[in-house]
Amino acid sequence: MFKSLKKAMAVALIALCPLVAKAEYPERTINLVYPWGPGLTMSISQILAEAMSDELGVAMPVISTPGAAGTKGFLTAMNRPADGYTLIDGYVAPLVLQPLLGNADWTFKDFTPLHSAFSNPFAIAIRKDNDRWASFEELMAYAKEHPGDLRYSSGSRNNLPHMVIAKTLQGFGAVAQNIPYNADADAMSDLRSGVLDFAFINVAEYQTKPDAYKVLIVLSDLEGAKESFNGAPSIADLAIDLGLSGLAPMGWNWWLVHSDTPPERVAVLRKAMATAMARDDVQQAIKRLGFVPLKWDWDQYDEVVAQVQGQLTEMGNALKWEEEQLSKLK
Amino acid sequence: MIQALMSGLDLMWTPLSLGLTVLGVVFGLIVGALPGLGPLMGIVLMLPVAITLPPVAAMGFLIAIAVGGSCGGSISAILLRIPGTPLAAATLLDGYPMAQNGRAADATGIAISASALGGLFGGIVLIFFSPLLASFASQFAPPEYTMLALTGLIAIAVVSEGSLLKGLIVGAMGLLIATIGTDEFSTGYRFTFGSYDMLNGFHIVAIVVGVFAISEMTMQVASGGLNDRPAVGAVRPSFRTFLLTLKHWVNLIRSSAIGAFFGALPGAGGTISSFAAYAAASAVAKPEEGYGKGAEGGVVATESANNATVGGSLVPSLALGVPGDASSAVLIGALLILGFFPGPQMFQQQPEIVGGVFLVYLFSNVALLFVGILATPVFVWVLRLKKSYLIPVVLLLCAIGTFALQASVFDLWVMLGFGLLGILLRLGNYPLAPLVIGAILGPLLENNLRRSLLISREGFWIFLDRPVAATLVAANVLLILGALWMGYRRRQLKKKMQEPNNTATRSA
Repeated sequence: MFKSLKKAMAVALIALCPLVAKAEYPERTINLVYPWGPGLTMSISQILAEAMSDELGVAMPVISTPGAAGTKGFLTAMNRPADGYTLIDGYVAPLVLQPLLGNADWTFKDFTPLHSAFSNPFAIAIRKDNDRWASFEELMAYAKEHPGDLRYSSGSRNNLPHMVIAKTLQGFGAVAQNIPYNADADAMSDLRSGVLDFAFINVAEYQTKPDAYKVLIVLSDLEGAKESFNGAPSIADLAIDLGLSGLAPMGWNWWLVHSDTPPERVAVLRKAMATAMARDDVQQAIKRLGFVPLKWDWDQYDEVVAQVQGQLTEMGNALKWEEEQLSKLK
Repeated sequence: MIQALMSGLDLMWTPLSLGLTVLGVVFGLIVGALPGLGPLMGIVLMLPVAITLPPVAAMGFLIAIAVGGSCGGSISAILLRIPGTPLAAATLLDGYPMAQNGRAADATGIAISASALGGLFGGIVLIFFSPLLASFASQFAPPEYTMLALTGLIAIAVVSEGSLLKGLIVGAMGLLIATIGTDEFSTGYRFTFGSYDMLNGFHIVAIVVGVFAISEMTMQVASGGLNDRPAVGAVRPSFRTFLLTLKHWVNLIRSSAIGAFFGALPGAGGTISSFAAYAAASAVAKPEEGYGKGAEGGVVATESANNATVGGSLVPSLALGVPGDASSAVLIGALLILGFFPGPQMFQQQPEIVGGVFLVYLFSNVALLFVGILATPVFVWVLRLKKSYLIPVVLLLCAIGTFALQASVFDLWVMLGFGLLGILLRLGNYPLAPLVIGAILGPLLENNLRRSLLISREGFWIFLDRPVAATLVAANVLLILGALWMGYRRRQLKKKMQEPNNTATRSA
């Protein structure tokens, strides 16, 4: 009975196949899963999604799905069908860092890239009227002489800025106490009011309040990054090699899809994103917000991300080093 | 500042800016009234549209959504006992009893008038005291936020009038719920049971919609009479409620000041300010005012506070470039995309934009008053629907709104789970509001307490070393003593009136 019913259904499906018009992809809304809470960075993703939506002819809402350093957003997206209707805003933290820290069981190779999006260089700053240290080296010397005495913030804990700062401190043999914040703005406020001794700062924060901060070091060796912080010294100017270069000490993202997504749909998405990224209004909007548009296409993904991964592993070790040093002081 | 306003007038006084501001208010009222959505969702949805507009028109549109959205939640709270947004959770304490007493139109009108007046107060603070307030707010660091969160928790004692113990039990439940998710200090997972959906805890909107809306609709079904048409008379638009609101001018000013103050503190937000304003208003009210039983003052306090918070949150946003809350973070993003950098230099370099933004904010509150009052009959008309029509529609809207938060089916389960919890709490005559207070204040208290102790080099002394924190410690001690005194006074009054049946508990 059941066997014949199954057969009949199979025959019916095969018979109906030609009748089902081969619909053009995409037919409906495509969601971009964004792994953080609403804010400035989400606005950029919305601009890019809007431009991509113009190319695709369907709406592309950005769905904020924060939690667990971005991994919740990734897991949410990966648990949806691999049909090209869910895109992942693949930030470096959930894409590469969290797997390195053992908080996620994927690698960057488990995703299919569409195109690179934007990068965000950052720096270490103190408040403007803080005259305790004239240079970054002086700050590091103090932190080395007074282990655990200084308080700093990298925004949330175990994120990219935290890793970069830990690696930098390790390079100088300096130990300071990291204070986690769930909103960068709160950390910046506490830096300005003197509660924190130093903190990471991004370009947008610096450009909105250049008179509030003194940038001691730009955590990037790229020339453009230096310019973004009004020509402040960068890690390229330091006498010691911190083992940080290129994209590794910066925030960046690629837009991705599930690796099982049909190739013809991936091709449509890649073309739309590349076109959107090349649009002048999109480029200008990204730059205006203090971010740098990235030009790498999907075929450079493996090479670019793999290069970064090695340095990020070293940074992960620096986090462990920082914890060990602080626990010795207790 | 006056010069900035004058130069901004040309940019604001255009058909496009004015029209979009009115449209923003209407849209804000709708997203606010629909359970699960709210001002942030409205702003996020409309951001891609706004950034294609001239700057002042764009900001007018987005700010008006925030203004309308902050008020819209009160409409469903008053009429259906369902706060459209967490901002309105405190409004139903007196708003819904007012509607039950046959004063739905008055309650709605007062909520709209108080929102508009509170918003205008917030606007005046924004225009004339931005630098001063921003500089004071910048003194708030983790120790001050810890003490402020404690102040909010003390408010539970006030909103649990008649059943303090039950209120504290529910408040503690809210605090426990807030611990679920990822611990930001150790990055470990707490009570997530291996589910990735729970890595960020439960969404506060899903909690609010579940506890209030799902439980309320269930109770409505259980009470029967699904096909009865409620005897609610037609209502005409009337500005009489505006005058009713002005009668509470002391409460209005106090609550608006509380709202503007909380708005200026990044991270505090409108939900906390509305509960704080309610606590303050009911603490100084005479017993015969009947707070919790349909007092006009209760609606005035909560609605003026949460709308003044919008103006207050624009203070650090525009004066310092520091977002006061998630909505203002998106507004700052919009300004940046439009090519302006919020902060002191914007006041110097683009005073006409600053002035224009101030003016559209003020105008959006005026528009709220007119649009809201004129639309009151439409709102009240909802009450004339048969339950058999109303309940499915409300449940559907709850589901759509909650799903829209993160396009997550899990959030729907959270909503249903908390709906069940809400039913159980109602059956046991436990108040619901403390659950929301606990869930919102839990992370604020825990994170800032731990942050303070990490920053401190001398343990708990950090709370007494800093003048503002020490003042708040003293204020909290006084509030606890005050709450004990109020309890004593209430017991004395009951004895005096010798009415043993007058101990009705409240379930909101």
